[in-house]
Amino acid sequence: MRREVATFIVNGRTYEELVPANMTVLELLRDRLGLTGTKRGCSASGNCGACTVLVEGKPTLSCLTLAWTVRDRRILTVEGLSRQGRLHPLQQAFLDVGAVQCGFCTPGMLLSAKALLDTNPDPTRDEVRRALAGNLCRCTGYVKIVEAVLTAAAVIRSESGAQAGAAESAGAASGPGAAAGRPPGGASQEGAGLAGECVSW
Amino acid sequence: MHRTLRPFELLEPESLGEAVRVLASAGTGAKVLAGGLDLVAKMTRWEIEPPCLISLGRIPGLASLESGADGHLHIGPMTTLRSVELSSLVSNGWPLLHDATRQIASVQVKSMGTLVGNLCVATSASDIAPALCALDAVVHLVGPSGARTVAIADFFIPECCSILAPDQIVTEITVPPPRPGTGAAFRKLAHTKACIAKVNVAVLVERDGDVCRRARIALGAVASTVVRARAAEDLLTGGVATPDLLAGAAALAIEAASPISDLRSTSGYRRDMVGVLTRRALTEAWDRAGGS
Repeated sequence: MRREVATFIVNGRTYEELVPANMTVLELLRDRLGLTGTKRGCSASGNCGACTVLVEGKPTLSCLTLAWTVRDRRILTVEGLSRQGRLHPLQQAFLDVGAVQCGFCTPGMLLSAKALLDTNPDPTRDEVRRALAGNLCRCTGYVKIVEAVLTAAAVIRSESGAQAGAAESAGAASGPGAAAGRPPGGASQEGAGLAGECVSW
Repeated sequence: MHRTLRPFELLEPESLGEAVRVLASAGTGAKVLAGGLDLVAKMTRWEIEPPCLISLGRIPGLASLESGADGHLHIGPMTTLRSVELSSLVSNGWPLLHDATRQIASVQVKSMGTLVGNLCVATSASDIAPALCALDAVVHLVGPSGARTVAIADFFIPECCSILAPDQIVTEITVPPPRPGTGAAFRKLAHTKACIAKVNVAVLVERDGDVCRRARIALGAVASTVVRARAAEDLLTGGVATPDLLAGAAALAIEAASPISDLRSTSGYRRDMVGVLTRRALTEAWDRAGGS
């Protein structure tokens, strides 16, 4: 069986790993890279969504994806959501609203929700429900989860608006990174590089 | 229980021609890998143990979704269900295909799974296959002995699978351009929206005033493969589409169904629902077709 060194870009960090053909992305993340936030739920039937990660911004079931096929592509897991010690607005909203019960579905929920807000910053309740249809919560806490996503969307929209306003008033001398209170070349630059991603997150 | 995938060779050809050659020489049991949803799931459960996978992922241009100079919709073998669902080209020109794709609930499944893969799995409960049958789609195949095309209704084999040979690859699905005066509708019955269909129905009618010029009725999950209700189509064709005629056609559609009883539904209930869903879909499609 083929076994080669491949490059994986996980949460902005590059990993070189010797990967056999039969390794899934879920196994790579949990067993090789120690990123155990991504959960193994339904044992590869594609039903539960607990293993959801974003590959180039798209929600992907890591338990059914061969690691080899996503080499050199950008993978985002729940560990990569926070920025400089601050939780992502989605994570914060899940805490504030009480959208977490046992927590097992939460990483997948967060990433599906992020994929939604990256392309649709102002979703309706129905659009949120549709975006999360592939993620099961066995504690059945869907009402709070939908509420948390809507809350986070509002926070991100207001932060983007405030940031745009601050950048405008600060002028060219300070630069967009400084205006947002971030080092130049920080999160805002990285955000700009991802297709369809929001300015701040 | 978590099972590691059995070892296999993974080949990544860089052109379709190379893929066909590699597949032909790879020996028995080799499989083509596109989105991997069904294939990798079966391998994880150790239901199948292919010695070799041939990935289409590194071949450029296979995720195409465009309208050709001939007005036909061209769908590539790596085009995901999500791309089809989000395409304004599809929702404007082929709303029936859009509606069928939208029925699939999970965004992850739609983002990973390809439309062609959905057909190659050849489950009779596919939401996509009935829609493509009603739209008279054509499947394009290539293998060592050359390329061929087949109408989608003839792609599936009753009690089995599809006509796709182990050494063949589906290269494209084409869908004829929408004709004036046509209307279509898709109806699905399932336990929840995320569940596999108990029954699904795709219909398309071509209307000339009060007369039905052409009809297509395709039924899913009620036979060993997707089936056309041809007797019902014949009843409609050339007829004045009164509510009685539509109801008569819906009743006739039941005869095309030979459903099983399983955990999702009983045979009798499925049969009854073919009539109900077909009548509703025909009425909706007829209204959408307008009077011109």
